[in-house]
Amino acid sequence: MPDIPQTECREAIALRAAGKAFALDDGGSVVALDGIDISIREGEFVAILGPSGCGKSTVLRLVAGLETATSGTVHIEGRAPAELAAHHRLGVAFQDHALLPWLSVSDNVALPFRVARKPVARDTIARLIALVGLSGFENARPSQLSGGMRQRASIARALALDPDVLLLDEPFGALDAVTRRHMNIELQRIWSARTLTTVLVTHSVEEALFLADRIIVMTGRPGRVLRDVAVPFARPRTPEALRTAQFHAMVDDLTRALEPQG
Amino acid sequence: MNRLVPFLSRYWAVLLLVVVWHAWVTLGDLNSIVLPAPLPVLADVVTHPALYLTNAAQTMATALAGVAIGVLLGAFVAILAWASRLLAGLLTPLGLIFSSVPIVALIPILARVLGYDISTVVAIVAVSAFFPTFVFTGAGLRDLPRATDDLFKVLGATPWGRLRHLVLPATVPNVMISLRLTVPEGVLAAILAEFLMGRSGLGFMFREAASRFAMERALGTSLVVTLAAVLFFTLAHRAERAVKARWS
Repeated sequence: MPDIPQTECREAIALRAAGKAFALDDGGSVVALDGIDISIREGEFVAILGPSGCGKSTVLRLVAGLETATSGTVHIEGRAPAELAAHHRLGVAFQDHALLPWLSVSDNVALPFRVARKPVARDTIARLIALVGLSGFENARPSQLSGGMRQRASIARALALDPDVLLLDEPFGALDAVTRRHMNIELQRIWSARTLTTVLVTHSVEEALFLADRIIVMTGRPGRVLRDVAVPFARPRTPEALRTAQFHAMVDDLTRALEPQG
Repeated sequence: MNRLVPFLSRYWAVLLLVVVWHAWVTLGDLNSIVLPAPLPVLADVVTHPALYLTNAAQTMATALAGVAIGVLLGAFVAILAWASRLLAGLLTPLGLIFSSVPIVALIPILARVLGYDISTVVAIVAVSAFFPTFVFTGAGLRDLPRATDDLFKVLGATPWGRLRHLVLPATVPNVMISLRLTVPEGVLAAILAEFLMGRSGLGFMFREAASRFAMERALGTSLVVTLAAVLFFTLAHRAERAVKARWS
């Protein structure tokens, strides 16, 4: 192993006492997040796990700069998320693939270059399309692809500009269980090929355990951090890791943590 | 025989109309000044190809130029209204008022202002195409594919980048819908304008022929007008379908 650079342990993403309240039409407000403290190191893969409505997507939207915190602070590399977005340093994949239907796969992957007004790196795009296993589909349009292939294309697009931070908001949430597991194995392989700070929002315990270095478990109404669990499995992880007793024990433990109290 | 059956099943209504027309003229023993039979009408068209073709070409060119100007202007103003809330407040009520004024009422006014020549006909067609395009393009600019707005924010797109790479391409199908709607409308507006104030084209040809009771010529003109309108509609419809397939 080459010597690990000093930056390895630097903090990449920091939420300090971050809160988010949404104003309602009747003049009141609803608290979606309450005093969230999350610290993510550079190069770390963190999964945010929680039941639907616990505010986990709001955490990701704060980090993506799509929402601003109503209290506390959110920083990426010491700067405001919107600033990083403006410098095209964020990669994102949503549950809705958000591919542009009138563009081919390769033009969709090239979109971040065009939006950033940078010369389109054709070789990078070809490499990313190969990385997500879509070689041969460069000229296909999104409507001609399966749901899983569309998500692969959207992940390739998220990686196009070699971002500092990769944000994944339930990217496989709309897929069936078999495709989803397959996509998790693929994502694990992609992530092993290029380690970068990643935040994955998911409601699947298995997905979080298989992919992440650390899992932050959230509870809802208002959203709070319930547990912060380190994932002990060595990388690269193979599908066999999903079948070990330790894996099953952790699945049971985290599933219990997600169940409503009382 | 193999080709005849689909042809009949598709155009039986048109053929029936021609048969009824012929029967009515023959059985009623009508004078050709009242109503000529289908065959003499067709004969007039076939024996004067140059006359019909030049006038048809002129009307079609006028209609196309007018539709092109109207659609481009309508789309441009829709983008202005999209970009600025102030302009939207200014332009939308104006658009609604103008679109509810019948084109027939506008023709004499525009003719008086712009003069009685072919550029006025183009302007009238452009006015008829402007408002549907304004409305449909405006709707298209606000109808973006799911989650793409968030995507462009995270990618750090500038307002211009968002317009160029997301909003404008997303509205292309709606511009094609406006084209499909305004092209037949444009042909109609061109003929109407020629009929009321023109000195050439199919509309003028019809009025001129009808005024001297040359009914074969008048109905021949109607026939050519109908064929042209159907042709234009079919082309616009095909173009819209092709774009829609590419865009979904």
